[in-house]
Amino acid sequence: MIRLTNVSWRRERKASTPVLSNLSFEVPQGGFRWLLGPSGAGKTSLLSLLHVESLPSDGTLCLLDKDVTAHTHRSVLVRLRQRIGMVHQDFRLMPDLSVADNVALPMRLQHRPEDEITDEVQSILKWVGLGDRLGVRASRLSGGEQQRTAIARAIVHRPGLILADEPTNALEEPQAHKLLDMFSELSSMGTTVIVATHNEALVRRLSRPALVLERGRLVQDGA
Amino acid sequence: MALPFSGRKDGLSLSEALPDRSLFILVAMMSFLAALTLTGATGARTLSTRWAGGAAQLLTIQVSEPDQPLAATSKADKTAQPTRADAVLADLATLPTGTQVHRLTQEELARLLTPWLGDAGKTALPLPAVIEVRLAEGQEAPANLEQTLDAHVPGTVVEHNAEWSTRLRALAQSLLACAALALATVGGIATMITALATKAGLSTRRDIIEILHGLGATDSYIAGRFAWRTGGLALGGGLLGTLLAMAPLLLLFRMAAPFAASTLQAASTTMPDWRTLPDLLPGDMLVGLAALPFVAAFIGWVTTQFMVRVWLRRLP
Repeated sequence: MIRLTNVSWRRERKASTPVLSNLSFEVPQGGFRWLLGPSGAGKTSLLSLLHVESLPSDGTLCLLDKDVTAHTHRSVLVRLRQRIGMVHQDFRLMPDLSVADNVALPMRLQHRPEDEITDEVQSILKWVGLGDRLGVRASRLSGGEQQRTAIARAIVHRPGLILADEPTNALEEPQAHKLLDMFSELSSMGTTVIVATHNEALVRRLSRPALVLERGRLVQDGA
Repeated sequence: MALPFSGRKDGLSLSEALPDRSLFILVAMMSFLAALTLTGATGARTLSTRWAGGAAQLLTIQVSEPDQPLAATSKADKTAQPTRADAVLADLATLPTGTQVHRLTQEELARLLTPWLGDAGKTALPLPAVIEVRLAEGQEAPANLEQTLDAHVPGTVVEHNAEWSTRLRALAQSLLACAALALATVGGIATMITALATKAGLSTRRDIIEILHGLGATDSYIAGRFAWRTGGLALGGGLLGTLLAMAPLLLLFRMAAPFAASTLQAASTTMPDWRTLPDLLPGDMLVGLAALPFVAAFIGWVTTQFMVRVWLRRLP
């Protein structure tokens, strides 16, 4: 479950104008939300906040039943981050690692057994259509392949929360639809999913509640 | 079936991020200096302890007119009475068991005075008898020895060498303090070098670290990866530096041999054999030298852990 109560976030502590202002909403466990809004509305900032890459300047943020603003101990935040899968707009892959190594990273950081890692990585990469690209360095992949690798890395460890920032940008339509179906399925299995997008066709295809941001404020909570 | 993993596991690729070669060479140089300093300190301490210990146990007694009979009153008495030197020797015979008393022969006395008097054997100057008294380890001369001898054989002078012992100890302490300061400086420089190397590595791998952090890598994991790398390099550099220092150290020991123990004197005629090294060098020094690479590795490991953890504090 995600719950924000009057959350504001400033890029710097002394900055007068907050990037995100007074946000309050709730997403239940297994909920799916579109995150919509024009460029610069604060979608990426909100996702970063939900990924605990930064902490709220004001207000209360609860993620996966943990009050992030109260539990600022680093180990708590690390454990929380391990339970979140994030697909960044710029993919953030390790350029020197193979596709398989990139996808295996979240599981390795959780010290999962190597045979389990092998099975999971193989099956997820097969599913995203990269079954024959396992050993290729990430730096040699096309944009679409990098995006699929990033998606595979975000979901391979079965996180409780998936955050995706424009995850279909570099994908062709059939792949985008397939990804959307998978997110929907994960959501029905209890994973909370928040997807930021500009793709209206995609939003129309999957009718789910939307959080709409404008200039850092929540103007619509489709819940 | 195994995956075609790249063998790099987490993408940090620290062998490319850290200035490996510079760190290795600089630590080797620091270890070289530390090995020399350590040896100098150990050598100074050993020699001064030996000298100071010897001096503290030694008394020098001068007996003027040694061959004159003791308190002779008549010609008959002169023949019956022992000489002044014999009287002193007789008194010294009452010292505790283990005390060595030796009256210097004319040749020994002449050799002793040659630097000042030239051929002392031909001098017309009346020479006193010189008696060396070496007390057993842990023994002290009787407090009233000087008074006793002077009362019995007037004009007898007892020279205590304890004053030399104190001076030698002070000298040794000063040398050890200098060596400790030098070692601390070397350690400080090694720390700074490691810190700079770590900083360079952190700035090169900033993006990768942020990705790992976002994926849930703990501070211990990231700091540990850096620390084991720098620790390993420091261990290698430390080993090389210490090994390189062995050649000049052996030379120094060869030069110092005449002032040291008999084993070293024996070895001084030829260059010592590596296999006999443990017999030649003091045990505590060998332990110190063996520990140097590990101390270098520890400094590298701790400094890097600290630097990386402080750097990671900027991330939530």
